[in-house]
Amino acid sequence: MTTREENQTVNITASTDSSEKRFTVVAVLEQMPLVALVVLCLVTAILSDRFLSPVNLTNIMLQASVMAIVAMGMTYVIISGGFDLSVGSIVALSGCVSAWVMLETNVPFGVISGITVGGAVGYLNGYIVSRLKVNPFIATLGMMVIVRGIVLLITDGRPIYGEDGLPEIFLELGSGRFLGIHYLIWVPVILFIIFSWLLHMTAYGRRLFATGGNREAAFLAGIQVKRVVTSAYVWCGILGGVAGVMLASRLQSGQPTAGEFYELTSIAAVVLGGAALHGGVGKLYKSMIGVFIMMVLANSLNLLNVHSYWQRVAVGLVIIAAAAADQIKSRRN
Amino acid sequence: MALNEELLTVRDMSKRFYGTQALDEVSLNLAAGEVHTLVGENGAGKSTLIRILGGIHEMDSGEIAIDGRPSEFTNPREALNAGIVIIPQEMQLVLDATVAENVMLGNMPSKKWLGFIPVLDRRRMREQAGEALSKLNYHGSLDIPVSRLTFAERQLVVIAKALLHEAKIFILDEPTASLEQREAERLFEIVHALKAQQVGIIYISHRLDEIVELSDKCTTLRDGKVVDVSTRGHIEKENIIRLMTGRDLAELHQPHKLEFGETLIEHESELTLRRGEVLGLAGLLGSGTTKYLRHLFGAGEEAAAINLSGDEVQLKNPIAAIQHGIGMVPGERRNALIYDLSVRDNIVLPHLSDVSNGWRLNLKQIDKLVADLMEALDIRPRDPKKLVRVLSGGNQQKVIFARWLIGDFKVLLLDEPTHGIDVGAKARIHRLMKEFTARGGGVLFASSEMIEVVNMSDNIIAMRQGEIVARMSRESGEYNEGYLREALGG
Repeated sequence: MTTREENQTVNITASTDSSEKRFTVVAVLEQMPLVALVVLCLVTAILSDRFLSPVNLTNIMLQASVMAIVAMGMTYVIISGGFDLSVGSIVALSGCVSAWVMLETNVPFGVISGITVGGAVGYLNGYIVSRLKVNPFIATLGMMVIVRGIVLLITDGRPIYGEDGLPEIFLELGSGRFLGIHYLIWVPVILFIIFSWLLHMTAYGRRLFATGGNREAAFLAGIQVKRVVTSAYVWCGILGGVAGVMLASRLQSGQPTAGEFYELTSIAAVVLGGAALHGGVGKLYKSMIGVFIMMVLANSLNLLNVHSYWQRVAVGLVIIAAAAADQIKSRRN
Repeated sequence: MALNEELLTVRDMSKRFYGTQALDEVSLNLAAGEVHTLVGENGAGKSTLIRILGGIHEMDSGEIAIDGRPSEFTNPREALNAGIVIIPQEMQLVLDATVAENVMLGNMPSKKWLGFIPVLDRRRMREQAGEALSKLNYHGSLDIPVSRLTFAERQLVVIAKALLHEAKIFILDEPTASLEQREAERLFEIVHALKAQQVGIIYISHRLDEIVELSDKCTTLRDGKVVDVSTRGHIEKENIIRLMTGRDLAELHQPHKLEFGETLIEHESELTLRRGEVLGLAGLLGSGTTKYLRHLFGAGEEAAAINLSGDEVQLKNPIAAIQHGIGMVPGERRNALIYDLSVRDNIVLPHLSDVSNGWRLNLKQIDKLVADLMEALDIRPRDPKKLVRVLSGGNQQKVIFARWLIGDFKVLLLDEPTHGIDVGAKARIHRLMKEFTARGGGVLFASSEMIEVVNMSDNIIAMRQGEIVARMSRESGEYNEGYLREALGG
């Protein structure tokens, strides 16, 4: 009898332990991207003394800045339940259009037309996906090829920088600093604040999550689901446009081949950040962590002199590992 | 030892889910040839218990013994191998495969072609499948795809398949929830046939008549604890309800008042709903009631032309309906809830513009609104930030209801509002309907449960194959279940 009671006590303690342990596991998995980023930074810092040098850190920030903006738009589209393969082409189109227009007219007009053209392509994507009900994969795959084709047509495949280069004031945007920090880094910081607010604090944001999470239920709750879905692609296009203009200022030209693989890198970053590809789940700051993981990983492999072909293999593995961790997490829940 | 005569013994099973004690030292015995029913409100722990027995969850502590041997399962396959089969409400069958193929799936007999090439032995497959099915009184075709079977017949296929796998313990989880009366009676025959084969059955249902009829033993759960175990002859409906809910049945019933105000909506001279009225839309599954309610809500293929308090309006989409003060609770919860959003977000979803200052959500106002509604509707757990996914069915249904209690809604369209939820939650929903009409609203509700329609409605429209086939009024003429059943041909 005593033994049985003892057994029970043991059982009960064991049970509390295991449930608490499971709770922590989930909590850790929840912050997995951040943990991974910190670990990655620590390991690289130990292995390479160049990693923490101001030059290298600035370099990472600059590389991350354009991708961060693309990933913000991608987060919106993925939360809406789709994704956008055309964003890399949009980056190129916007960069070239803004370079071309500013050479013909002036800088502000060039910047605005670059961003507008991105938004217009985004609207087309949204229209095709939400009204014509074409699968987002096919719709944006088609758009990716079309837009890249148009870029090559209007540029004849050559970079755009005019006879004396792009206007001085525009190039200043690519290299200048404010309070010691590059403009190119200020832009994503400000956009991050605005788009986090829009996503997490507004009625529009809730509608976006609801539509991506369960379209039918959102429709029956009186949400204009088509408009919401379209808006996500428009944001993605506009942000792709901003990224394209920034890239043009950094490259001091409109490059027709710019932005290649940006769609894949940004999707990978958003998924690394824990957004669900079926829609309705995601956080903007986590997508940003995803971007940094991708960028720090690339930087770290460079510093460690890993061959660039192996770098691709490593990046692919990280993406799959992140998706697998996400599956484990949802099963635990 | 007495223990060995038991097919299944559960001793002191406990399970915690993040701060909620889902099961608290639950014990249960099941003998061969016995039907052991399990009753309790949604969230009482029934689902957790069967999920542990089915290997889907692991228990924190306790013991499971099968045939007296201690067993524990870490995945569904191990439970299956130990002879435990769960027949869930929605079953996994290969819809495009034939009846015989589905029964034999995983057990396919093979023969050698030309003496060495293994091929499927179709003749033996049909024979064995036919034999298993005829024991269960199925005499239909073996060669038609399962997709052409009725829901009840599909259950037979699953049961036959399990019998061939030598399952000893059947867990039937609300097997009659989607069945008509006649089909349900057939299922009871099958339960008796299974008993005769010395199979042990754990039977879960919200229909208390069935419980009384079928049980050899009945265990009542409340808040994760066993509150009562009764044996055949000592099982009473009123007693079960009191044990499940801690309240008397009388408290759960609502009186009728037959005073109606002005007309709220009128649709093609077919339907008139007045202030204070509960209008029942009776129809069996597939009778067109769901489509009709969706149409009235502007969610059908075409815009709905209705007369709303005297004005002709076109409802092109749900947005228009909501703006005109019409709310809807769809028949399936998964069509109404965003599982990845919180209870709070799900409640305020149709009202986001009303709870915003410009673009910004007024979180203070939302929290106050949601807290009041959760209190009023007794939505548990009382945490507005919980994902709606983790709530029990009854509580999820209350969340959908809560949506339309914000603002000035005049008309509620309810499609099977109490489908698959327990008596306590059901009574709560019924009371909400009454309260809504008492405040001058009108309720149009569709149900395939005739008793519910008759008890709740002031007037009834009966539908069959998309057409209105009969009307009944509490004020005059025949108003009873028999008349309604006759009209529906059920």
